[in-house]
Amino acid sequence: MAHYTPPHQGKLGQLIDVIVLVVLTLGALFVPLKLGMSGAAKVIAAPIENPTWEALGQSPVQAAQYEALGYTPASAHDLILARFDYSFTMGGLIAMIVVIVLYYVLMLKFSETEYRDVIAEKFDRK
Amino acid sequence: MQTWNYIEYGAWALSALFGLYIVVDWIRTDTTYSEDVLTSSREGELEAMTEEKRG
Amino acid sequence: MADTDIGSKTMDGMGPHGTKVGLLRVLGPAHVWALGVGIVLVGEYMGWNFAVGKGGAYAALIACWFAGILYTCVAMIDSEVTSTVAAAGGQYTQAKHIVGPLMAFNVGLYLVFAYTMLEAGNAITAGYLISVVAGMSGYEGVLDQRPFIILSILFLAWLNYRGVLATLTFNLVITAIAFVAIIVLFLSTSGILGGGIMQHKALMEGAAALPYGWIGILAAMHFGLWFYLGIEGTTQAAEEVRSPARSLPFGTLAGIMTLLIAATLTWYICTGVLPWEFLGDGVNGSVAPLFDTARLSGSDGLIWLLGIGTLFATLASANGCINDASRAWFSMGRDKYLPGWFGAVHPKYRTPYRSIIFLVPIALIFALGAPLDQVITFSILSGLLGYTFMPLNIIMFRRKWPLDSIKRGYEHPFHPLPAIVLLALCAITFFAVFLGYGTQLVAMIGFYIVVSLWFHFWRYRFVSRGAQFTMPWPKPKGY
Repeated sequence: MAHYTPPHQGKLGQLIDVIVLVVLTLGALFVPLKLGMSGAAKVIAAPIENPTWEALGQSPVQAAQYEALGYTPASAHDLILARFDYSFTMGGLIAMIVVIVLYYVLMLKFSETEYRDVIAEKFDRK
Repeated sequence: MQTWNYIEYGAWALSALFGLYIVVDWIRTDTTYSEDVLTSSREGELEAMTEEKRG
Repeated sequence: MADTDIGSKTMDGMGPHGTKVGLLRVLGPAHVWALGVGIVLVGEYMGWNFAVGKGGAYAALIACWFAGILYTCVAMIDSEVTSTVAAAGGQYTQAKHIVGPLMAFNVGLYLVFAYTMLEAGNAITAGYLISVVAGMSGYEGVLDQRPFIILSILFLAWLNYRGVLATLTFNLVITAIAFVAIIVLFLSTSGILGGGIMQHKALMEGAAALPYGWIGILAAMHFGLWFYLGIEGTTQAAEEVRSPARSLPFGTLAGIMTLLIAATLTWYICTGVLPWEFLGDGVNGSVAPLFDTARLSGSDGLIWLLGIGTLFATLASANGCINDASRAWFSMGRDKYLPGWFGAVHPKYRTPYRSIIFLVPIALIFALGAPLDQVITFSILSGLLGYTFMPLNIIMFRRKWPLDSIKRGYEHPFHPLPAIVLLALCAITFFAVFLGYGTQLVAMIGFYIVVSLWFHFWRYRFVSRGAQFTMPWPKPKGY
């Protein structure tokens, strides 16, 4: 394979490439956050009015630890009752699997074509 | 309590100091040495060296 | 290039490829251990307890051990490849030689993200810790945490800027103190020395045993990784270690053993004292579980020790993260995968100084602008994508260069079993992440697909083809 000589990249080009990368990064991380799609919020299914340790389902030992930490039944109410929602749809699961598999397939395929060039230039010139 | 307010200011000041040191040294380095020298590092030196000594 | 002299005294680090200033080879195996364990140990001081919230205390223990298996596979696979590919950039350089350029670009980004996010998480924790100390010392106002977050990042960036030996020696000392603090807390609260305060049975009975049932165990895997995340970073030091083929496998494997002990002890101590709902909420409940456990022990000495341990662990981790992220960013710049400007080495301090500087504002943006669990999730996701790459990497490595074709400093046993186990555990963890953070997962992979296309169709033109393959290996099989 012919020897490939990469073009020289000027300062401005380098700067633009960095900016593109940083913008993409910040976008990927902050857009879901700002749109409130980041999930993982806990919900309280059945709030209890005027909670006691018994009503919150705490044994005397557990209640004693909470009190040692400085909690009262009222202030520990949200902490104790909040639960994650693990329900999901089959469609969502399949979509995720497809996205992940597609990503790795795409990457391995492109990598392979680029890699063949590298190996050809490195070893066939000798 | 006042003490913690002073500690806060201290932290700001120290941050500025470290930041300033880095930036000043960075500019000095970039203007003293040529880009060729600074970016001359190449990967796999140790390997290449042992190879050449062997061969 | 022929005028270079390997034995030159005046231009140390000068090599046959024309390197005039390169990274300095000064580190020993203890530094490798300090880098690996230093980054991770903060995971025992904060963050792992989200796993308790995800599925309860038992689920967290199961996740802790399965994640331990996952990371043992990671450490073994990594040690084998790294003992032959000894260059800064670690897994990035491995991918470049074994899988191909695009994969390498992605792996490089995984590394930089995982470490930069972790660094941001550490700075957030350090800031929080100082505000707690202020509260305990009687300060009544609301402490501004920002100067402390910024100070910890800038101080460590400065340390990294000034040289790798001092940076990692500092890490060795503070990591050792943080590790000893966990052992002391275990000895003094478990009843081995004096009276114990452990109440596992009462705190984990009934509804508190497995609050979410079996799916909770799967969900806990997500944060189970946090017990060990970052141990693979030892490979980033490859270009600065005196004898990489020996030190890297030794430091890495000693590191994973240290962490398995620390993780199990931490689980034991914290679940025996803190109720699971409190322990499992790392935002409103227990931000620093070991520190909270010490508070309940009633001993001022333990409170101080664990407070210092927590602070040291966060600093050690942020320090190692700056080291690793900048090495990965630097090696990509050096190969022109990223603008070549980043591939510079400081002529006096011999560090990749421009990469260190560039990553400071990035880390600050996340430390000051995003909540802790989100930051941790970004870090875990990038790490997870990297662990999924590793089994593919080792399988291709063994296929392209069988054991008899190149000599390895370390050969991992039972191939391909560790690779298959690792892949299976990664699949489970993807599912766990999907349960809570599906949107981020898809957004993250969408991001990697976009940058991959950007790299393949635009950026790759600036990269030399044959010259980026720098290892003195024979031609791979099948090419």
